[in-house]
Amino acid sequence: MLASLHLGLRLYSPVEVWSALTTEAVDSTALVIKTLRLPRMLMAPVVGAALGIAGLLLQTTTRNPLASPALLGVNAGAAFAVVIAVSLFGVSAIWPLAMIAACGALCTTALVFALSAAAGGAASPLNTLLAGVTLAALLNSGVQIVLITDESTMEQLIFWLSGGFADRDLSLLTVAAPVIALSAGLAVAISRPLDLLLADDASAAALGVPVMQLRLVALGLAAMLAGAAVTTAGPVAFIGLVAPHMARRLGGLSHRVLVPMVGLVGAMLALVADIAARFVIYPSEAPVGAVLAFVGVPVLVFLLLSRKREGLAA
Amino acid sequence: MTDIMVRDFASRRASTPWLVPAILLAILAVFALVMVFSIGFGSTPITPDRVISAVLGLGSRTEQVIILKLRMPRALLAMEAGACLALAGLLLQTATRNPLASPSILGIVDGAALGVVVFLFLFSNESNALVVSVNWQPVAAALGALCFALVVGGLTWLDRRGMSRMILYGIAMAALASAMVTIMIIVGPVYRATQALTWLAGSVYAAHWNDVMIVGGILALAVPFLLLLPRDMEQLSMDDQSARASGLAVTPAFIALVTLSVVLTATAVSFVGGVAFVGLLAPHAARLMVGHKAIPLIVASALIGATIVVAADLLGRVAFVPIEVPTGAITAIIGAPYFLWLLIRRSRSHA
Repeated sequence: MLASLHLGLRLYSPVEVWSALTTEAVDSTALVIKTLRLPRMLMAPVVGAALGIAGLLLQTTTRNPLASPALLGVNAGAAFAVVIAVSLFGVSAIWPLAMIAACGALCTTALVFALSAAAGGAASPLNTLLAGVTLAALLNSGVQIVLITDESTMEQLIFWLSGGFADRDLSLLTVAAPVIALSAGLAVAISRPLDLLLADDASAAALGVPVMQLRLVALGLAAMLAGAAVTTAGPVAFIGLVAPHMARRLGGLSHRVLVPMVGLVGAMLALVADIAARFVIYPSEAPVGAVLAFVGVPVLVFLLLSRKREGLAA
Repeated sequence: MTDIMVRDFASRRASTPWLVPAILLAILAVFALVMVFSIGFGSTPITPDRVISAVLGLGSRTEQVIILKLRMPRALLAMEAGACLALAGLLLQTATRNPLASPSILGIVDGAALGVVVFLFLFSNESNALVVSVNWQPVAAALGALCFALVVGGLTWLDRRGMSRMILYGIAMAALASAMVTIMIIVGPVYRATQALTWLAGSVYAAHWNDVMIVGGILALAVPFLLLLPRDMEQLSMDDQSARASGLAVTPAFIALVTLSVVLTATAVSFVGGVAFVGLLAPHAARLMVGHKAIPLIVASALIGATIVVAADLLGRVAFVPIEVPTGAITAIIGAPYFLWLLIRRSRSHA
């Protein structure tokens, strides 16, 4: 986190950073650190954690190691809802937008699972993934059309849609952070039944887990988390996919450990990606989503190729 | 249900030999109609009869200029691109025996896009002019498409769990390619970015006769190969063993089909950008209408693909006047729901 304050187009020494944060000085150093660096430093971990936990919830409830907010079209759903709200109804306040993003995420989640259930059961990762990716393509075309037909919206949204932590309004975080904290807390609270859900549905039910209700709650939480993350930082892909797998390597299979762990890993990933984004094409900045793709795609390919979890990986 | 319809149709077709040609003629008529409307629509609307007379060299001087210089190339390019994508999809679906395979899902379109963006980046100078001939652009697209097709194919081969996995690797590699495209666009100066972005959205805006000639040329070159393929296609649509038993070299045939498909995709993408779902949609529609015989299937796929892209381009211009919506967005809105429907149908029939 500290590195995030120091590194960038200009490197600042610890002394400079400290004095900028503690004094009332208004020189350019203080300005850069307070208005540009500080927000991203705070925002990246929160969003990263939210996406990581959302990914974990999706993967556990569907027993599908490929489930993640981006691949299932949840991010695209949130983005589409926000674009429609801004363009057609002129919504600009943050609270309603956050709610709308969460609704969009929720509807898309529901739709993807309904579609894949219709296509032979949500247990088939291939069908779920195909439905998600296709729905994402559809929603993205929708976003494209709205943006083209409404130029004022385009200026307002094109930057947000690129996904990343630069130049975000810090007040977004005051809305998103409580939502994320609450959802994450609830995710920890249901960690014990989630553990049981990792076995098959029948044995989970035999152990007294209300399978359907638990699934609905977990998917709802995932949608809330993804929606809040998307409202804050735009659609950021791959954290939700990669973080759970990294956390599982580190922290075993118990969700009581796994949920906080995945939050931490997601936060780290987002921070590192955000810092890397400032440097890969120095002096200009790469979108965080693009940077994450370079980590995410190899992991995705590895997951697909690995045969150890044959049952999980279809 | 699709299968039942096709089988039903096959029996009817056997008893009425004129049915397939009649259907092909009907498709051709719809296509011609869409073309005429597409050429007629614009800031100066021109009625269909005057469009036809202008194309035939009659009609007024102004109308001839508008139609022959501005609107014809656009409509023709859309037509050719649609045919290319449809044929590419048909070849892929035959080669992989996977009805969900299509150039955009297998990452070939994004690979071609990356090829073009890298090309624009490497070979244009400060004043936004290309330092080499623009005719190299399709070559760059083909190289990019081929690289990504090879990687996706290689991963599927490593996986050894069948062709259906190919789609998963395609999705992964498409994500990687589009991330690389984004980074290239940001690295490059602004003028290149605008150039690349306009093109990526998938549009036949600003088409020239030159483009029409090149794409048409490549399409024409592909035709003899396509005519050699029918036998292979029919054999390949059986399983590996029966195909081998009937004397087909399975691996070379597979490579030939996929390579041709990659070249056709790259050609279309390098001129009109990322127009999605046509390669999926057209062969399916064609199969529903004319059945599984190779030659009618090839002709119908090409015609339907051409009709879809020309219609999508027309719709993109008409629907939100005065703004133009990219053709690719329209085809996605038609194609994505169809793909989902197909996914559900397919799994049902398997179950």
